[in-house]
Amino acid sequence: MEQEKFDQEVARRSALIYLPISLGAALLFLLAASVPGAYPLVAKVGGVVWVGLLSLIVSMPLVTARVKKQLRAKTSIT
Amino acid sequence: MGKKDEAQLSLPIVGMSCASCVSHVEKSLQELPGVSNTVVNLATGKASVVYDPQQVRLVDFQRAVDNAGYAVASSELTLDVRGMTCASCVAHVEGALKELPGVLDVVVNLGLGTGHVRYVPGVVNANQMKRAVREVGYEANERNDAADSLDRERQAREEEIKRQGRNLLIAGTIGIIVMIGTFYDMLGPFKSIVPVWLSYKWVIGLLTTPLIFGPGRQFFVNSWRGLKHGVTDMNLLYATGIGAAYGIAVINTLFPNAGFGGEGATFFESAALLTAFIVLGRWLEALTRGRTSEAIRKLMKLQPKIAHVIRDGNETEIPADEVEVGDLILVRPGESIPVDGSVKDGYSAVDESMLTGESLPVEKRIGDAVIGGTFNKTGAFRFEATKVGKDTALAQIVKLVEDAQASKAPIQKLADWVAGHFILGVHLLAIMVFVFWFFIGYAAFFDPNSSFILSPYALGEIGVFGFSLLLSVTVLVISCPCAVGLATPSAMMAGTGKAAEYGVLFKGAEAIENASKLNSIVFDKTGTLTKGEPSVTDVFVNTQARIGVSDELLRLAASAEKYSEHPLGEAIVRGAETQALTLNEATAFNSNPGHGIEARVENHIVLVGNRKLMAEHGVEFYSLIPHAERLEGEGKTVMFVAVDGQPGGLIAVADTLKEFSAEAIQRLHKLGLETVMITGDNRRTAEAIARQVGIDHVLAEVLPQDKAEEVKKLQARGKRVAMVGDGVNDAPALAQADVGIAIGSGTDVAKETGDVILIKDDVRDVIVTLEIARATMRKVKQNLFWAFVYNTLGIPLGAGLFYPFFSLVVSPELAGAFMAISSVSVTLNTLLLKRFRPSLRHNERQLTPNRDSGKSPLSPAVVSSK
Repeated sequence: MEQEKFDQEVARRSALIYLPISLGAALLFLLAASVPGAYPLVAKVGGVVWVGLLSLIVSMPLVTARVKKQLRAKTSIT
Repeated sequence: MGKKDEAQLSLPIVGMSCASCVSHVEKSLQELPGVSNTVVNLATGKASVVYDPQQVRLVDFQRAVDNAGYAVASSELTLDVRGMTCASCVAHVEGALKELPGVLDVVVNLGLGTGHVRYVPGVVNANQMKRAVREVGYEANERNDAADSLDRERQAREEEIKRQGRNLLIAGTIGIIVMIGTFYDMLGPFKSIVPVWLSYKWVIGLLTTPLIFGPGRQFFVNSWRGLKHGVTDMNLLYATGIGAAYGIAVINTLFPNAGFGGEGATFFESAALLTAFIVLGRWLEALTRGRTSEAIRKLMKLQPKIAHVIRDGNETEIPADEVEVGDLILVRPGESIPVDGSVKDGYSAVDESMLTGESLPVEKRIGDAVIGGTFNKTGAFRFEATKVGKDTALAQIVKLVEDAQASKAPIQKLADWVAGHFILGVHLLAIMVFVFWFFIGYAAFFDPNSSFILSPYALGEIGVFGFSLLLSVTVLVISCPCAVGLATPSAMMAGTGKAAEYGVLFKGAEAIENASKLNSIVFDKTGTLTKGEPSVTDVFVNTQARIGVSDELLRLAASAEKYSEHPLGEAIVRGAETQALTLNEATAFNSNPGHGIEARVENHIVLVGNRKLMAEHGVEFYSLIPHAERLEGEGKTVMFVAVDGQPGGLIAVADTLKEFSAEAIQRLHKLGLETVMITGDNRRTAEAIARQVGIDHVLAEVLPQDKAEEVKKLQARGKRVAMVGDGVNDAPALAQADVGIAIGSGTDVAKETGDVILIKDDVRDVIVTLEIARATMRKVKQNLFWAFVYNTLGIPLGAGLFYPFFSLVVSPELAGAFMAISSVSVTLNTLLLKRFRPSLRHNERQLTPNRDSGKSPLSPAVVSSK
């Protein structure tokens, strides 16, 4: 497999994993912030964005590295 | 390729010469689990392997081929890697290179900005490596030779200093203006000279924007490149921190009623000053980091540029790198010696201190070896080039020091691992801090009158999101583990460089770490503690004999032994020559192997040998026996001398101690080390030497092949052992020891075994080795301590742990300043190692004449002879 195609495939597969993880974390935050009903909307939105962004930053490299490793093992190395 | 999931690889094999080799290699590879097909081609020297990558790896192939008696060809190359700033960068570059098929081993050095790669040629190439490094956000170029790399490294460092300096100028200037604008209300009497519009939020925003997208852009670009490839580094911390502060400031300026804290929570100054402080840190790092590798540059600079070659009887000036082996070269006083060679005519004193650490100039006469890069002081001479280019001593030393600096100590591997995994941990912590302050902390502890540390402004209007975000961002910035990443490599580089200045070459950072932990030093006796050749120690004259003086006895015995090839006979001749005695020719000579010799000298029949020889010739030598036994008790070999059938006396010969052996042992004891001597000699001789030198324990009658076993026994008793030997028959013991120290190698360092190479034949350099290793490791530990203390204190402070008690928070810009201070302080602490001087060199170094004043004549008293 061409290196470029390989990278694209890694990116695609990884995104399918880390995006739901980040969105899940953000959603969880939203749910937690919504239940008491004591937070203004902007704080909730800001919090969702910040938690989502940080979750993305944490999960993106972890997932990408793992997917790359798995995919590399499955493909030819020459 | 057959089945799915199978891979195919073509390995270059070395050492195959026939069809049976082919079958051996094929069989060894085929036996590996997961290998489905192997085809070895003798003509191309390649093995094509089809295998399952899940079951077998490249290293397994390599091991299998090695076990079969062949080798997978491997090559090495060094990449200059630019853009690395911390330990996690090192981990990313290493990771990117290691992922490439065909790469066997990678060592990336942050301080040098290099990546040393061992790889299988044909499977992977330099371009693929460079591309892999670029893909994770760094620049990579292939290194050529030492001189080029020196220039390139200097150029790259200067460019980096210039780039960060330019960034600092922009960021610093804008940062100060933004700060003045932000704190306009507090300017007091200076308000009149500052235009009021500078305090408008949108003006501050407009000023901050080019700073974020100019000098701050590097952090966003680099972190995005890394994220795309699944890696995180310090840039990500900065980018998140700066981005969050700037983003919120923009929202609060454009939409003050959006609920993020409004105009009271515009963090433009945070974003601006944070960027400025981080850039300041980068600039200071670029300035100071290069200085830790100054030693290698100093060595490289020793390489002279020109040589005066005598060709066809004419003197021609040519570039030094064009000198060929066999060229005759003229060196005048005050000139550097261009390459290694052997003196053909002339006499001079040469300053070799820069390569050997020898503080006094060394006399050079016809036949003596001269070293390229050393400095001719007094006279002119001509020499024949024997080694040029990469084979010269200087080139070998530079390579050795470079390799050592590129290696990693075990403690560094741990620090790199910690720092590498730290970034993600910090982001997780930032989420936790945000969530805590959002849901619990703000409601429980927030005080509207609270303020930033070192700032008079109250946080006032800031809302729950703004406050939680502020603490979360501060944690990201304050946690940066730059200092942890720099702590070890910077000290190791400074330590190996310092050691090289004194003629001590560490082959790797691990050797430094191990040398600092030693508690037992084993010395090989012959050639290490002793001179390795017997010499006359005592002459005892029988007062009853006709020969009344010891000189006469020695002269007759030496004349008789003049043509002897026996080491003891040669020692007697040397002893007589040392005393300037005139020897006469023996008119008859008869050697009796195992007993001694009989010769006629000046009409006397002279017998020199052992008791058996005396007894055979009926010499009444019994009166000499008590004296002989006393001398033998001191570990000396005694020869009886009879003249004309009468017992003339005794000549004792022994392997004598080197000049500084006793001093070295004494100093080692002061350092708290146990000393052991190992030798093949009989116990009586060994113990006599040990007594003279002050050794604690003696291992006598040990065959050369058993020395390693003796070292192993000491290690089994929990000792951390260094073996000091001349490397001739000590190689297994040097390898077995925790630290093998090869002494007196001269400058042919490439051939030496051992972890540490002492260029000079001075056993006191073992102490220099230990002192430098201990000083370096002390510096590593200090650096790591301060780096971890910074993070240990900084993180809870940044996370607001003390906020409930003091109502103070650390602003992101202050966190940035702390971060910059921590990494710069670590580097500055390392630079203190440059002042280190081994204890026994304190006085000697002061005697070293200044290279620049080389033309002044030297007193013979300060010229040492080799």
